[in-house]
Amino acid sequence: MQISAYVDGELPGNEAEMLLRRMSQDAELRQQVADYLATGRMIRGERSVPGMDRLRDRISAAVDERPLQEDTEIVGKDAPRYMRRLAGVAIAASVALAAIFGLQQMLVVSDQPDTAIDNVAQSNLPEAIYTVPDASDDMLREYRLSHGATWLDLGSGSVNARLVSLQSQGVLVDVAADDRLPVGSNDPASDESTNTPDEQTP
Amino acid sequence: MLTSRRNRIATPCLALVLPLLLVSVAHAQRDAPNDWLQRMAAAVQTTNYEGTVIRMQDGGYEVLKVAHTVVDGVIRERVSIQEGNGLEIIRNGNEVHCILPDQESVLVEEWNDQSTLFSALPSSDIRFGSEYDLAIVREDRVAGRKAGLLAIRPHDSFRFGYRIWMDVETGFPLQMQLVADDGSIVEQVKFADISLGQEIPASDLTSSYSTENFRWFTQPSKTVTRTADSQWSNSNLPIGFRTISTQREELPGSDAPVTRILYSDGLAQVSVFIATNKGKKVSQRSRVGASNSYSTEIGDYQVTAIGEVPARTVEQIAISMQPL
Repeated sequence: MQISAYVDGELPGNEAEMLLRRMSQDAELRQQVADYLATGRMIRGERSVPGMDRLRDRISAAVDERPLQEDTEIVGKDAPRYMRRLAGVAIAASVALAAIFGLQQMLVVSDQPDTAIDNVAQSNLPEAIYTVPDASDDMLREYRLSHGATWLDLGSGSVNARLVSLQSQGVLVDVAADDRLPVGSNDPASDESTNTPDEQTP
Repeated sequence: MLTSRRNRIATPCLALVLPLLLVSVAHAQRDAPNDWLQRMAAAVQTTNYEGTVIRMQDGGYEVLKVAHTVVDGVIRERVSIQEGNGLEIIRNGNEVHCILPDQESVLVEEWNDQSTLFSALPSSDIRFGSEYDLAIVREDRVAGRKAGLLAIRPHDSFRFGYRIWMDVETGFPLQMQLVADDGSIVEQVKFADISLGQEIPASDLTSSYSTENFRWFTQPSKTVTRTADSQWSNSNLPIGFRTISTQREELPGSDAPVTRILYSDGLAQVSVFIATNKGKKVSQRSRVGASNSYSTEIGDYQVTAIGEVPARTVEQIAISMQPL
């Protein structure tokens, strides 16, 4: 931790001096610091990760090829009126939003590159093989969504909580045109006041 | 006579020194990490702000425009992605519209809490145990404003550290980094420019797209949870993690309810999902930004740990789960 604090310029002056003195006499320590700097550069994107561009392309392609499907189902009485359900609308939002956010592809690290589905990694990637998640990762998305809701309730967690949560959306349902709330829209019919669903005109 | 003369000298001296003393005291209080966190929590909940945000994650970055107001406790917020497909997220109270212009779609969500994009930060309510050190490292400048840098450093490599640059004047978080134990930045969000406490025009909080002819979607209510007694234990939790809750959840795609056990060290959280392994398999390892997951089979169950912790943490937690 002392090295990481030093690399980040957070080490107090006297401790930094001591570390520098040690570094001048310790080749292994110098190498450790160099390694930390190199790792930081790589993770900050100063060196590209093989396979990422192709992965991004494949996700975009998957979104383009995925048609919207519909299937009707009546929602329970207790559900909000505007959430009348057209279940099974498999927009595959996780894939769509992954493409939208671009940077947030779910990276699946496979231990078995020979059997990995949609392996898009370059051969020079040393250990991890990045793959496009297939249908079997639906459960993983549900897990992420459920976990995300929890740590939002607790008021902590990743700073990108909301965006990751959105990325992890599962099955969506249509909202009937009459039941749409005009929240935050510039449409002519829009009402910028904060109305509750009960206050909306049927 | 002498006393009177002393008083004549002392009074102006006191008048000069007292404000300095008060300022010093104020600074000392401000410098306490927990005071900074409290100011930050209050600022995030109550401050109007508008600005440009840069998100960095997984070696890339993107730019967002953000506008946020709180009026009578009602949050209104617009987040617009400035690149790619131009996604907009519009929040008015609890209702959230995610507008996907290229797909001519609107996703409707309901957020039943006061969380906003920037409230997913360590809150002042978190009690830091022996697993983290807090320190105000230095003063810096972010988005043209003077900021204090708070470092939250873990004692081991089972959790990430935080660096938070908070506005000196208001306590508002201007920049935040999630830091791995090798010093590398796992995630980062920072304001490139920001205005704080200003009145924000209503037009900045509404969508820039006409959504009249878009398709609108929402999510069905899909998760049912209830408290359950745990039939599982963990013999090798990383130091500081403890069980927070145990629930049974009905999740789409799962034939049977899934047991979820939540562990936390007071700052980082890890959920462990336990499902019968008759269902769909889950990738062994995956990552989204700071969120790692590890899945393994234990007996007739598939055990998956997910959390904003290093990969080794979710792996250790998952493989050390044991049925009672």
